[in-house]
Amino acid sequence: MKYIILIFETTHKVLKTDKLLIENKIKFDIIPTPKDISSDCGMAIRIDPTLADLFLIKSLLKTNNIECNYIEKQIK
Amino acid sequence: MKIVDAKGKLCPMPLIMTKKALSEIKENELLKILIDNDTSVKNVTRFLDEHGMKVHIVKVGIVSELTVSKTGIIPESVQVEDYCKIENSNTSNYIVAFQKNRLGDGAEDLGNILIKAFINTLPETTLKPKSLIFLNSGIFLALKDSLVLDALKKLEQMGIEILVCGTCLDYYHKKQELEVGIISNMYDIIERLSQTGNIIYP
Repeated sequence: MKYIILIFETTHKVLKTDKLLIENKIKFDIIPTPKDISSDCGMAIRIDPTLADLFLIKSLLKTNNIECNYIEKQIK
Repeated sequence: MKIVDAKGKLCPMPLIMTKKALSEIKENELLKILIDNDTSVKNVTRFLDEHGMKVHIVKVGIVSELTVSKTGIIPESVQVEDYCKIENSNTSNYIVAFQKNRLGDGAEDLGNILIKAFINTLPETTLKPKSLIFLNSGIFLALKDSLVLDALKKLEQMGIEILVCGTCLDYYHKKQELEVGIISNMYDIIERLSQTGNIIYP
């Protein structure tokens, strides 16, 4: 199954995004940053693109000035 | 040769289908059963073996083709459900007990995402816990609106026992909102905790 992993620079950005996504009732999971992805921050956000609107997420993050990297990951 | 297609079926269905097919064929006639999950392959093989029938298994991709000759009789009274065993070779002898719905003491929002990450990672660990116990505010993680409900349900389906403190549910008036696990009591909880190897308190 294909997921999109959101990678942030700091935990505070993860926290801000967590709050934002909950407020906007968007489905997501907090996960530890996968070992094969390098990141300064130990927490990441996992999105199932079939359950959440990635476009909406990207625009929400942009509006709120939260920088983030998007990585596609195949997880069985 | 009679062919039983049990692909996509989970126990006890393949067992039920096998028992029925055997009753419909003549002695020494061949039966081929198609199964695509390892647990059912093991259970059906054991079922046939214990009734005097040797199974020949060929695996084609993810589908196992079990061929057997009717050299035994399955009494009508046999309960196939007795042969349903879910293998849990990778549940270890440890228990995770959640005493609150956060991880650690300190910033509340940090504690929230830490517990979410913790629970979301459990389904992927090599050695899974035997049981999960939820106490005091930990019970909130098992309720209808919990953000970790999917992960907990997945763990329950894997055979991990989930016990939720009844007193706590009652105190918080949340008994009706329990979505995963069973309502438990201090006796059962202490039985589990005292008979296990390690206990992790996140």
